Amino acid sequence: MSKFQILVVEDDAPVRNLITTTLKAHTYRFATAINGNDAVMETASYNPDVILLDLGLPDIDGVEVIRRIRSWSNVPIIVISARSEDNDKIDALDAGADDYLTKPFSVEELLARLRVTQRRLAQMQSAGGNQPVFVNGQLRIDYASGCAYLNGEEMHLTPIEYKLLCLLSQNAGKVLTHKFITQSVWGSSWENDIGSLRVFMATLRKKLEKVPGSPQYIQTHIGIGYRMLRIE
Amino acid sequence: MNQAQKGNNERQGRGAGVHTDEHILVCLSSSPSNAKIIHTAARMARAFNSRFTALFVENPNFETIPENIRRLRENQTLAKQLGAQVETVYGEDVAYQIAEFARLSGITKIVLGRSTAAQRSPLGKMMLTEQLSFYAPEIDIHIIPGGNASRIYRAVKAKNNHKAVIWKDAVSSIAFLCGATLLSLGFYRLGFTDANIIMVYILGVLLTSTVVSHQIYSLVSSIASVFIFNFLFTHPRFSFTAYETGYPVTFVVMFLTAYITGTFAIRYKEQAAQSAKIAYRTKILFDTNQLLSKAGNKAEILNAAAEQIMKLLGRTIVIFENENKGLSNPLFFPPDTAWDASYDLEKELETANWVLKNNHAAGAATDIMSDARYMYLAIRVGERVYGVVGVDLEKNPLDASEQSILLSILGECALALENEKNAREKEAAAIFAEGEQLRANMLRTISHDLRTPLTTISGNASNLISNVGSFDEETRKQIYTDIYDDAMWLINLVENLLYATRIEEGRMTLNTSTELLSDIVEDAMKHISRKADQRHLFVAYEDDMILVRADAKLVVQVIINIVDNAVKYTLPDSEITVTTRKNHDMAEIRIADSGNGISDEEKEKIFEKFYCGTNKIADNRRSLGLGLYLCKSIIIAHGGTICAKDNEPKGTAFVFTLPLEEVTLHE
Repeated sequence: MSKFQILVVEDDAPVRNLITTTLKAHTYRFATAINGNDAVMETASYNPDVILLDLGLPDIDGVEVIRRIRSWSNVPIIVISARSEDNDKIDALDAGADDYLTKPFSVEELLARLRVTQRRLAQMQSAGGNQPVFVNGQLRIDYASGCAYLNGEEMHLTPIEYKLLCLLSQNAGKVLTHKFITQSVWGSSWENDIGSLRVFMATLRKKLEKVPGSPQYIQTHIGIGYRMLRIE
Repeated sequence: MNQAQKGNNERQGRGAGVHTDEHILVCLSSSPSNAKIIHTAARMARAFNSRFTALFVENPNFETIPENIRRLRENQTLAKQLGAQVETVYGEDVAYQIAEFARLSGITKIVLGRSTAAQRSPLGKMMLTEQLSFYAPEIDIHIIPGGNASRIYRAVKAKNNHKAVIWKDAVSSIAFLCGATLLSLGFYRLGFTDANIIMVYILGVLLTSTVVSHQIYSLVSSIASVFIFNFLFTHPRFSFTAYETGYPVTFVVMFLTAYITGTFAIRYKEQAAQSAKIAYRTKILFDTNQLLSKAGNKAEILNAAAEQIMKLLGRTIVIFENENKGLSNPLFFPPDTAWDASYDLEKELETANWVLKNNHAAGAATDIMSDARYMYLAIRVGERVYGVVGVDLEKNPLDASEQSILLSILGECALALENEKNAREKEAAAIFAEGEQLRANMLRTISHDLRTPLTTISGNASNLISNVGSFDEETRKQIYTDIYDDAMWLINLVENLLYATRIEEGRMTLNTSTELLSDIVEDAMKHISRKADQRHLFVAYEDDMILVRADAKLVVQVIINIVDNAVKYTLPDSEITVTTRKNHDMAEIRIADSGNGISDEEKEKIFEKFYCGTNKIADNRRSLGLGLYLCKSIIIAHGGTICAKDNEPKGTAFVFTLPLEEVTLHE
């Protein structure tokens, strides 16, 4: 945990202090940048494990920063934005961000997000490359045979539900926007398909989760998309 | 004129400058020398600095001869150019009409041309001037010598050159004569006296007069009756002599009676027709007034006016609205459906546009652009033009009375349009003022209610900065919690405020999409569970596959607000339940608590803006009263309903609905 390096990109000093204080208290290592250009340079030189990127930067658009970094790095990016705007979060996620935080956010949320990213990184490192089998808690997906198992029992999924499950599992820990999911599964991002998406997600979750109301695997982000959580 | 009238006249002074009490009237006619009279009267009006009116008396004899009409119109235009207010009245007795008008309008001086003055009434020997002095003795009469015409000008009476009518009248006369003769022969057979036969002939002439169109027929019939009577019924029969001494007198009396009754019959007929026309036009004016006062908006006003004008004139009317200094699309009002739509758009529009810009009549029968087919008039109040109306003249110009009623209707229409415009502007101003007032109220309340938690936050923080050592663990934790709670409260308040200002400014546009109701409820629960720790919060879905069409963020805010209220107004350890279900074509969400409930009078009031309940608030925090108002606005914008009901056994249940969404699945 202590080797984990975080780059904090935030131009507002009090918020930056809040974040760095929290990180320090939890023994994370961090560096800071106060604008977009610095952020890109620091990413190149410091090589962080995760970037906390504020979207309201003074010099260049946060989405632009993401695009630049994504052109040569897959480092996880968590964006921070104000509560009432969903569109900038969606744009950021579509441009390559992995997760988002909404201001005002609590410190627990921040730490929780960091933990998710850590788990994902650990998983990616240990597994390395494309896995034929995906394991997450009680869930097991055998890509080769095209079956999914929960608690050892085979799940009866429709083809669409299976596709959704695979998509989420291959991006576990990352927030996928509606547009991304519908494009990957249906090949278009029609408004009508978002309705279908909801229905399919709902049925999938019913099959996947034992207690409705406390999701273990699939998390809904209202107005944004869905995410599969890594179970510890 | 008494004092009151004098004062009234002064106050009614129109145009620039104050006028004296004098009011000069000039009589218009179609005479060529009338122009000189008008000029003289205008000079007089200027010299006296008085008001100036030009009057034309239309009587049945003034039939439609283009020559007369043209000259009259020229005279009317001249009078207008010289600053006169042109009026028209109708009547048989010219002197009486002039006198009446003069008396009612406060005329002090009447100006006549000598040719007009020398007109005599048909039966009387009095000249017009003498009659005028008789009817209005207190008004000065000025007679101006005529211009070039040394002969007395008489209005050319219309020659009835419709061959068909002459034929019809002649036949009718002869028929009645024959009828009378036959009847008389019958009477003679029966042995009735001469008196009866004479009466029959007089009756015959009377009846003839009621159907023919000119006095000449009754004259001829009367003479013919006498001769036939002489020929057939006086001794010696079948000769034109009469033996009895009284007969010449009888003949004369018979002739006179027949002729006079006949003439009166015709005169009466013409009067009746004239009255009917006047009554019809008056009715149109009256109806116009009614319709215009009832009309609700610009379109209705213009429609009503155009229809009335069409009814009045029986011609096709086209009407344009003044839209931002340009003409709207024309609206046509043909008198009947078989209407030839040969409207040369370009030429006519050019004329109409000219009228709009220059606030002056143009088109057919005017001096400007007179090759257009329609005559165009501006609908205006003073300098403000509200529209343009076009009358299809089809080469027949309007007569004077039609013209003046048309102008009257246009005037009323313009006033109605102006009123409507003023009313709209007033409403807009009122709404704006209300908005300003609301904003002012909000700012006041907000600044007060923001200061309280900010005071505690800054106070607590400053305490910690200076005296961190002197507080024990327990107190410090309390301080931290207070700061945290205040901050959380502020966060939610700001959210609500932002939404509320968006509603006020009309920017509450919903960004709806298909959402899973359970997703929305779960998201709301995430933001609440921090505060509701001491309450028992239950969530139950009757059907967890309910899809709704909603703006997720807003509905989340609704649920947060309602649950926050439940938390605020109930004691710790009480229960709060959230349930969802389908109800016909809506999804129903129910949030119930086991608190003290809300009285029936308050159930409506709590949704009002800035309303804080009368209940003691559990944690003593002042509320802005916005939360439920916002919920109601949001739910209504979604097309749903929201209300507060009593919960069994105790407490309140808030129930709101959202429209269901059906989705066709793509596999």
